[in-house]
Amino acid sequence: MLPRTIGRAVILLAVEAFFFILFAAFMKTYETGKVIAFLLFFIGLGVMFKEWEKARLALTGLFKEMKILAGAGFVAMLLTLPFIFQSSPYLIHICVMAGLFAILALGLNFQLGSTNVVNFATAASYGIGAYASALLAVHFHISFWLGLLVGGSLASLFGLLLGIPCMKTKDYYLSLVTIAFGLIIYILLNNFSWTGGPNGIPNIPPPSLFGHSFKEPLSLFGYQLPFQSNYYYLIFLLVGGSLVVAHRLHHSRVGLTWNAIREDEIAARCHGIDVTWYKILAFCIDAFFGGVAGTVYSHYIGFISPENFAFIVSVVVVTMVILGGMDNVFGVIIGAILLTILPEKFRAFEDFRVLIYGLIVVTMLMFRPQGLFPQKMRIYKKES
Amino acid sequence: MAEIFQQLINALLLGCTYTLIAIGFNLFFGALNVVHFSHGDVCILGAFMTLILYGLAKLLGLVTFLPGFVFVPLLILTAMILTGLIGTFFERVVIRPFRYAPLLMVLVATVALGMVVRETVRLSFPHGSNPQIFPRILPQTSFQLGGVLIRLDSLIIFGTTIFLISMMFLFIKRTRIGAAIRAVSQDTEAAAMMGINIDRTVAVTFLIGSALGAIAGILIGAYNNIIRFDMGLMGGVKGFSAAVVGGLGNVYGAIIGGLILGFVETFAAAFIPGGTPYTDVFAFLVVIFFLIFKPSGILGEKVYEKV
Repeated sequence: MLPRTIGRAVILLAVEAFFFILFAAFMKTYETGKVIAFLLFFIGLGVMFKEWEKARLALTGLFKEMKILAGAGFVAMLLTLPFIFQSSPYLIHICVMAGLFAILALGLNFQLGSTNVVNFATAASYGIGAYASALLAVHFHISFWLGLLVGGSLASLFGLLLGIPCMKTKDYYLSLVTIAFGLIIYILLNNFSWTGGPNGIPNIPPPSLFGHSFKEPLSLFGYQLPFQSNYYYLIFLLVGGSLVVAHRLHHSRVGLTWNAIREDEIAARCHGIDVTWYKILAFCIDAFFGGVAGTVYSHYIGFISPENFAFIVSVVVVTMVILGGMDNVFGVIIGAILLTILPEKFRAFEDFRVLIYGLIVVTMLMFRPQGLFPQKMRIYKKES
Repeated sequence: MAEIFQQLINALLLGCTYTLIAIGFNLFFGALNVVHFSHGDVCILGAFMTLILYGLAKLLGLVTFLPGFVFVPLLILTAMILTGLIGTFFERVVIRPFRYAPLLMVLVATVALGMVVRETVRLSFPHGSNPQIFPRILPQTSFQLGGVLIRLDSLIIFGTTIFLISMMFLFIKRTRIGAAIRAVSQDTEAAAMMGINIDRTVAVTFLIGSALGAIAGILIGAYNNIIRFDMGLMGGVKGFSAAVVGGLGNVYGAIIGGLILGFVETFAAAFIPGGTPYTDVFAFLVVIFFLIFKPSGILGEKVYEKV
């Protein structure tokens, strides 16, 4: 029995390592031709996985059986990423951005995915978090860690503010309110003098931890890692935290309630669910995630301007949720990672980036509305 | 006093533009219960279409060949028809597949479609991100009337809008297709049972709405002398806001809503000190106010949710 378990564990880790090496190799390719070849290979793998039932069942069974080992191996591999990309800080930067967008998409998923409330104001909460912590840090020298909390809370407060008029409205009206709110925040950021207007806020100090500034290279185990790695590990922790929160929420009473509201609001109300409260809760949690992501972004880049928080950012995050699969926590993260990395890999087509986002959304909605990774059916274990 | 009159004229003009966009939103909502979020971009597309057609006409020498009062209406009419056809095409390709899908789908799809339209316009013009100069197709003279400066092109814009809107009302009230449009907006299923071709009626609705929207785009271009690819986003949101304030689905409401929005913006810019950069904020606050206290709009019927 034991040798068999060890054998299976080795297979599992080998599969993970294989995918990890593939990913690293993909990140390190720069020529468009090779990138396309890689993509075709990935698509081929996906199709094979879908068609070859025996292999799929075996693999999913393997992963289900050794959940903890699979998770641990995955985490360990992700932690070594900065060592692999040691010579190219740009790649680590892409990973940090992917993580930031993953947090945003996870936040939006509570609304768009779980509750079916459309919100085109993600950029607003992202921007409020970024500006709040940046202003605090620049003018009052408040540390990043406190700013993280303040940025998140302030964004959450604005989420509440936005949520109240939204509760009176539904569907189209609601999306109009959120679009209008996003545009209002953008216009205000552009015109207030204390936010720096269109010039934004420069020279935002980097965070520091135990006297180690995040602007300095990180030395670990005798390796000198580029300064982006600091943020990589920070983002890694934050995404991990968000993932746990999202996962727990999804499997809690709250997540179930949100799903009930999505399926039928009137029926939910009839069952004694306080629809207003739960919808506002979704708004606040989404905004908190946005605020946290914004705070990290502002301190990471060191410079923010209203352009970073334009309407398009909201649409991009919506795209990520739809592409990944609504209400599927892992799917959403993969959607965010895909939509951050792919545009960077196709730098040659930089101009077409937004166009392609739009086309992806329209075609996905038409041909695969459930996203790449459809939401899983809730299964409750039988008491026995 | 003259100042107030001057602003009144500006407000009326702005109101006309919003009304034209809002009519489209109302027509589509009536016909399909759908909000076409890329409608604003279709409207601006009308202006860009005029720009392209004007360039073509210049190449062919039509600009000097035909007298202005023949050429300009011809130009605008062609742009209108083309934009109307594009709107119908969008309905066929992007909106119709979602007719029986959840609301969210068509909503997100049309927002994304708007993005596609904007980017296509941006990429198909050289230096598309910069404002494009709109040809001066209207006479540029102006005259003084009791201390108020009136631009001749504003008068033409105003007259055209009133003419077009009344034509549209006549069309909807008096013709067979107009009756079909009204029937479909009242009850789609009952209309289908009476033998009305729903798909064709919806297509006609989109043709009319988009063509009127094209006029709005041209008005914006002619009044400001420039157009930019991303004007459609704001235009669409404002047009939709006007439709909501007036009562979504009610075509008359579009006029009231458009005028209210136009007045709020113009007077906020003129009479609130330092308010000019914040005009859009005031407009949106009015809309949010309406949504909270009178969600059905001024002329809209109250809709009860059926179980």
